[in-house]
Amino acid sequence: MMPGLVQILLFQGLGELITHFFLPLIPGPVVGLILLLGFLALRKGVNAPLDEVATVFSQHFGLLFVPAAVGVVMFWPHLKAHAVAIGAALLVSVVLTIAVTALVLKGLSRGSGK
Amino acid sequence: MNAQTPAFPNIHEIWVYLSGSPLLALVLTLGAYQLGVIVYERANRHPLANPVLIAIVLVAATITLIDMPYSKYFEGAQFVHFLLGTATVSLAVPIYKGLGAMRGRILPLLAALLAGGLTSIVSAVGTARLLGADSAIAGGFIAKSVTAPIAMGIAERIGVSPTLTAVFAVSTGILGAVLARYVLDLVRSREWWQRGFAIGVAAHGLGTSRAFSVNPEAGAYSSLAMGLHGVLGAVLIPLGVRVLGL
Repeated sequence: MMPGLVQILLFQGLGELITHFFLPLIPGPVVGLILLLGFLALRKGVNAPLDEVATVFSQHFGLLFVPAAVGVVMFWPHLKAHAVAIGAALLVSVVLTIAVTALVLKGLSRGSGK
Repeated sequence: MNAQTPAFPNIHEIWVYLSGSPLLALVLTLGAYQLGVIVYERANRHPLANPVLIAIVLVAATITLIDMPYSKYFEGAQFVHFLLGTATVSLAVPIYKGLGAMRGRILPLLAALLAGGLTSIVSAVGTARLLGADSAIAGGFIAKSVTAPIAMGIAERIGVSPTLTAVFAVSTGILGAVLARYVLDLVRSREWWQRGFAIGVAAHGLGTSRAFSVNPEAGAYSSLAMGLHGVLGAVLIPLGVRVLGL
């Protein structure tokens, strides 16, 4: 587990550095993710300790954004005042996004002679 | 602080001691999440019994009840928050494993991802604006179909609230997990890989766990869609916002 965590932290650090000095628009962890992806492609495989850490993280991803999301208490009056707009926006966009993605996939894979 | 500690400190003193340490916020966060997971398992993993949503509601209610300012809570909970970046980097592993599934389908998948991602932003921000929401709220919708940890990073870069983005992302995931079946049947999407990919584009992690519980191929493609949407969104959304000068 430890060697896997060290690899991830190294790539995270590298990503933060690159973001800080060259790419201020892209979040550091995402740059780290892209670098790690390149590393895996070069090595043509995922080593066991890395796989272990990634599995633990993916199982409890949700826990990690609880602290930030609890900040919703500060927006509460604001959110209540716009509840209808928020609910409608969520509903409309979820339905449309799923429908459009599925329709484009269906159209294009039929077109390519499937 | 006090020179002579009484043999039996009263509740008030214990309370002052506890609320001054990061431990309280940490126990509260982890305990609420654990409770959420237990409820989720009891409810046979129904998407509406989402453990993250349960944890958010429990923690928010508790700190409101005990009058703890959010900044105080975050001081302790930041240790959990810090791991978000680390966990984001680790997403490279499932994305790498999913890339094999793309072979021969790269073009339709990328086109569908771009179309879906754009639809998500335009329809959410447009609807919110149309119904009178201000720019603070509308901004929170921009990255909400991207997986929450990356969405919050994007929110920071484009100057909108990461908190609102996280809350909208979790709500989107739950709605998507519940509604996907009906929408996909309505547009007559029949292939599992297409159904899975559409869920992943719209409803990221929560949609993906739903897809896995229905069909493994749908799950794999949903996971791939979530990863690609995260990476492309993190690059394209800040660029787009910058270019359009929003």
